Amino acid sequence: MTLYALQNLTVEIAGNQLVQDVSLEVEAGQCTAIIGASGSGKSLTCLTPFGLNSGSAIGSMMLDGIDLSNATAAEMRSARSQLTGFVFQQPMTALTPHLTVGAQLREAGAQGGFAFTRSDMIQKLERVGLSRADEKLDQFPHRLSGGERQRVLIAAAIAHNPKLLIADEPTSALDAALRSEIMHLLDELRAEHGLGMLLVSHDLASVEGHADQLIVMDQGSVVESGPVAEVIANPKQDYTKRLIAATPRLEEPPPVLSDTGEIVLETSDICVEFPKPGWRRGKVRAIEDANITVRQGEALAIVGGSGSGKSTLGRAIAGIGPVTSGSIFWENELLPERRNRSLSMRALIQPVFQDPVASLDPQWKVSDIVAEPLINLRSEILKPDRIIKVQQVLNEVGLGDEYHDRSPTSLSGGQAQRVAIARAIVADSHMLVLDEATSALDPLVGAEILKLLAQLQREKDLSIIFITHDIAAARRLCHRIVVLDEGHIVEAGNMGDVLQNPQNETTKKLLAVS
Amino acid sequence: MKSLLHPSHWPLWVVIALIAAALLLPFILPWTYDQIDWDAVRAPAFTGSHLLGTDEIGRDRLARLAAGTRVTIMVAIAAALVSLIVGITWGATAGWVGGKVDEAMMRFVDALYALPFMFIVILLMVIFGRSILLVFVGIGLVEWLTMARVVRGQVMALKQRPFILAAEAAGTKPLTIVIKHILPNIAGVALAYLMLTVPQVVMVESFLSFLGLGVQEPLTSLGILVKEGADDMDVAPLGLLLPGGVLVLILVCLTVEGERLRDTYS
Repeated sequence: MTLYALQNLTVEIAGNQLVQDVSLEVEAGQCTAIIGASGSGKSLTCLTPFGLNSGSAIGSMMLDGIDLSNATAAEMRSARSQLTGFVFQQPMTALTPHLTVGAQLREAGAQGGFAFTRSDMIQKLERVGLSRADEKLDQFPHRLSGGERQRVLIAAAIAHNPKLLIADEPTSALDAALRSEIMHLLDELRAEHGLGMLLVSHDLASVEGHADQLIVMDQGSVVESGPVAEVIANPKQDYTKRLIAATPRLEEPPPVLSDTGEIVLETSDICVEFPKPGWRRGKVRAIEDANITVRQGEALAIVGGSGSGKSTLGRAIAGIGPVTSGSIFWENELLPERRNRSLSMRALIQPVFQDPVASLDPQWKVSDIVAEPLINLRSEILKPDRIIKVQQVLNEVGLGDEYHDRSPTSLSGGQAQRVAIARAIVADSHMLVLDEATSALDPLVGAEILKLLAQLQREKDLSIIFITHDIAAARRLCHRIVVLDEGHIVEAGNMGDVLQNPQNETTKKLLAVS
Repeated sequence: MKSLLHPSHWPLWVVIALIAAALLLPFILPWTYDQIDWDAVRAPAFTGSHLLGTDEIGRDRLARLAAGTRVTIMVAIAAALVSLIVGITWGATAGWVGGKVDEAMMRFVDALYALPFMFIVILLMVIFGRSILLVFVGIGLVEWLTMARVVRGQVMALKQRPFILAAEAAGTKPLTIVIKHILPNIAGVALAYLMLTVPQVVMVESFLSFLGLGVQEPLTSLGILVKEGADDMDVAPLGLLLPGGVLVLILVCLTVEGERLRDTYS
């Protein structure tokens, strides 16, 4: 039975047509997924028919026999409050901060005309997998972790027994292990209540295996649609093909990687401690006894969930974070800590960060940003040569002359990450530390950045430390892998060996979710 | 900066026009602010060459209004500059260094906040005598506290941003990072708070002058003019309404502009 159907939906905001001619159907008990890059209009398609943003929707929109396009205000309200439940991307901002979890649930029930007792609510929270539900009822959203908040949000979204669940990037703000748990929870609930689900995501991998129908959107229009397995196995449109090729998957054949040379970087027993936040005494060990080696021209993946200490380790090696004890050697020469590193030592290892826009000073021009390391680290290069060098490096990362005078705020995420990479390699560094360098980017753009990195590695014989939570993405670039859990290295080895025969529970878990 | 020319920044233009008028009027008017016209004491408006009349001892109202505006604006700008320089230096140092230094510096700020400011200024006046310089110093010393707090918060937030880490990795020295990366990025917020500081200073100066603690006769300020006008308001309401009107106009315009800038930058 078709629960929700859009026919030729067009969304206009302030005279601009942002979504054109989208048609989709959600069957009861099934899941329809919309996939697309940011700005492709997928969220607008979901929210506008319910009047949840400023756009106006034109077209036929049928929800369970009600025509939303000419519904009265009362009908619209009942469609929103009783027939539909919403799960949003940011669980922190989607929960009202001054209401306890119990109050949120009671409110969610009230919109469907239910008056929940305490035991009802405990039951609902336990159903979405929240432990110690009784305690949590009296807590405020900021006391819960990201995963717990998302569970509360889901509990509130289905509290009034809706028929349709709209999930707008429900897992994008969570780390990989939580992602699959939440997706499985949504699957179970769907089967249990016969819910129809409309799922929005930018990540093809997280939709596969959970959705029945797939709709691929690009620039406001539907590019391709059909059953998920069929579309992925046999994509017809060029955009879909590129999107599928760009999404790293563990089943794909192993990539051909460049040869590696001598060991260049070696760490011995690195420990990093932070003081506990607030007034509490004591310290938190973020990294304990980490020993890693990296060869010339080799890419090493450091993989772990959020809070595993992988970024801390990367920063310690790059000399931009603290080291409590232990030592780092570069070609058997000791690298001192942070501010004590000489300029020539700094030039060896350069970092690239997750958020490309935040890693560029918004007040500077692109060419100045790239020139900064040259001025400090290669002060022997005179100004005319410097300008040529900057130009050359920007060309190497695929940015033409027209980008030199642009400000970072006018760049897209992918372009900004290219500038960040240019800055990292301009002073002839030997190693890059990439901290989730592709995680914040759309899959297509991320795949291009990975390709660029592989190419630079071949051309310049660079060593790379690739910090990520996504093993499938790391596999495209890296020779070896180190798995971190709560600050300890729990597994290390060649990429192929570890993937085929994982020894540690953490590794198995991470593999299961990517 | 170019965007300040946009018509939506009208409050700024009103203030600039007022300042320009206050600066230019002495060259045009036949009377100076302390000159007494014995033939026209308490003259109503448009009497001879006295466009807005004269006060109770025969001084030209328009000339005195211009002089008062000049003094008030001067005090405001000087105090705002002190607050800008001290506040940014203090706040940026505390925010950048962090840890115990930050604690100590910010507790000092808290301690100063706790002191009754008016009481201190009155004490200063009593000890060192009345002088316009003391008004500058006294007001400036207090107004930098908010600026320091705002700047510290901004610097601490910026310090976590990856581009600062990238600059460190690029071998940029800490002082250079602060000057080239941090300060340009807090300039917008600092400017906005500066705009909000100026009306506060104008208020404080007028209040001190109203109490008789500010600038000294025959030099005048908007606060003194309001006080004199208030004494005489049943006979010559113009003496209260004119300086009061100018004061309100300056305060409202600067506050509106400041709030707008603050909304844009923070």
